[in-house]
Amino acid sequence: MRDNYMAGSAANRKLLMALRIIAAVLVTLVMFFPVYWLLISSLKTQAEMRMAVPTFWPQSFAWENFAEAFRVIPYARYFGNTLIMAVGTIILQLNVALMAAYAFAKGQFRGRDALFLLVLAALIVPEQVTFVPVYVMMSKLGWLDTFLALIVPHGASAYAIFLLRQSFKSINNDVLEAARVDGAGRFSILYKLLLPMALPTVVTMGVLIFISTWNSYFWPLIMTNDNDMRVLTVGIAMLRDSIAGNEAMFFHIIMASSVMAIIPIVLVFTVMQKHIVAAMANSTFK
Amino acid sequence: MGTNPKLNKAAPNRASASVSRRVSNSVIEKWKDFAFSVPALVFMGAFLYFPLLYSIYISFTNWNMTRPVMKFVGANNYTRLLTNEEFYQSMKVTFLYTLMDVVFTLAIGLLLALLLNVSSSRLFGFMRGVIFMPYYISMVIAAMVFTWIYNGQYGLLNQVVSWFGMDPVEWLINPSTALPALVAVSVWKGVGFAMILFIAGMRGIPAEYYEAASIDGASRLRQFRNITLPLLSPMTLFLVITSFISSMQVFQSIDVMTDGGPLKATNAIVYWIYTMAFVEFKTGRASALVMILFVIILLLTMFQMWVSRKKVHYEG
Repeated sequence: MRDNYMAGSAANRKLLMALRIIAAVLVTLVMFFPVYWLLISSLKTQAEMRMAVPTFWPQSFAWENFAEAFRVIPYARYFGNTLIMAVGTIILQLNVALMAAYAFAKGQFRGRDALFLLVLAALIVPEQVTFVPVYVMMSKLGWLDTFLALIVPHGASAYAIFLLRQSFKSINNDVLEAARVDGAGRFSILYKLLLPMALPTVVTMGVLIFISTWNSYFWPLIMTNDNDMRVLTVGIAMLRDSIAGNEAMFFHIIMASSVMAIIPIVLVFTVMQKHIVAAMANSTFK
Repeated sequence: MGTNPKLNKAAPNRASASVSRRVSNSVIEKWKDFAFSVPALVFMGAFLYFPLLYSIYISFTNWNMTRPVMKFVGANNYTRLLTNEEFYQSMKVTFLYTLMDVVFTLAIGLLLALLLNVSSSRLFGFMRGVIFMPYYISMVIAAMVFTWIYNGQYGLLNQVVSWFGMDPVEWLINPSTALPALVAVSVWKGVGFAMILFIAGMRGIPAEYYEAASIDGASRLRQFRNITLPLLSPMTLFLVITSFISSMQVFQSIDVMTDGGPLKATNAIVYWIYTMAFVEFKTGRASALVMILFVIILLLTMFQMWVSRKKVHYEG
């Protein structure tokens, strides 16, 4: 009787799996659709964008939209600015976090855990709480419209310190002790011993910093006013504002600008997806 | 004879000197350890804790960023806000948005997790990647694509709607559709993240539970209700609170898609803070609003910590 039940369920299971695959493929297509729409819209001509019935495949590929993006806005400049902001933030934030994680994971000093809690508490404070005073500070320092205002206020990330400290804590103290006996200083222990051992975490952290900085909008919007200092997100949003009421004339250019702006993210994401997912799942409870 | 006392005297001296050197060495070592945390502490102090305190102070002044006068006005900003109709309108919009966003993102995320949690298949892994990807696409760009889809004249959505015999809608200009239209963008971006975390939670549930249940003849639905859902509850709570907090801070999509309109129908709190501070230059008033938002977020976070501590107790 039990065997019969199992046999019936094996056939059932095959059917269920087939249905499951079909459902999953459909859902994936729906989720991918806006990206598809972005891609094909970036390749349509202005006339095709303004047809009464939208086309699902470009009549002809209007590659010139991409060149046009460079003419309508200083696209190369925006791209470069975004890259400098992202790379600068990665370098600063990672080094500050590496040092702090070393101090909080392996250092011996009074008040260590209390200070670490103070760092962690920063996770609760949203960006909006600090932006007015920081704006005033930046303006007093004359840093508005410079990369300093875009990078320096993000020097310390509680999240990065937290994750790196986790991974340093799992490294055995004997290894550090042996290096110390050999006369290694703190910097060489940190950068030549701990960093290579925690490399997967450090690289994942760098990628996450890259993505969040590349996509950031609120901060660069407030800290920059000069057109030459804009980053991609702000530049693209402004492009839309500048043609308000006339959007349909320019949306193919906006779409082309957007496609070029997400290429670095999609590349990085594709390569690093596994590590990113692992880091996400790790940071929830512990 | 004369050398002996000297020696005797010198010996303890030398010993105590080396002890004190060792002590001072270890003190120096401790300071060196501490020094490595200093850069982080300086950045946090300068760009987080000091601004936080300064924000509290500004919220009690009548400061206008374009003028140098800064007069202490007590709780005036707070009472003006709390007696202002617009404040309640903005709160309502924010909570409505947040509620829709959290409910739809988590419900769809959970369904996706159930559907796509097949660990041995490369196809499913690839599909999970595709669904997760929007989470990492800039909100500005996502909002731009949806703006085009929502376009009243040439947008795809009105085309789809017409297949069902409905009249075209100006999705972002109509006050009753603008907010749901914003929610849809956020749900699209967020469901992949919820799915990934739900799957991580599901993989943490021991397989024996399901085996035992199916031997007892429990149906898949029953197993879901009696095993999966309860054991996912810590993850669900985490997702509810963190998505609640981030939804409450919705800004980018509003700035790109609706500018708080139509008729303030999408004037969520952070967007209002932004316009108050950088368009109307009412810096003091904006800071008071920031503080109200901060207190709400603080309470939510404390609630989460309180519940999850109880949960840990319960499981242990």
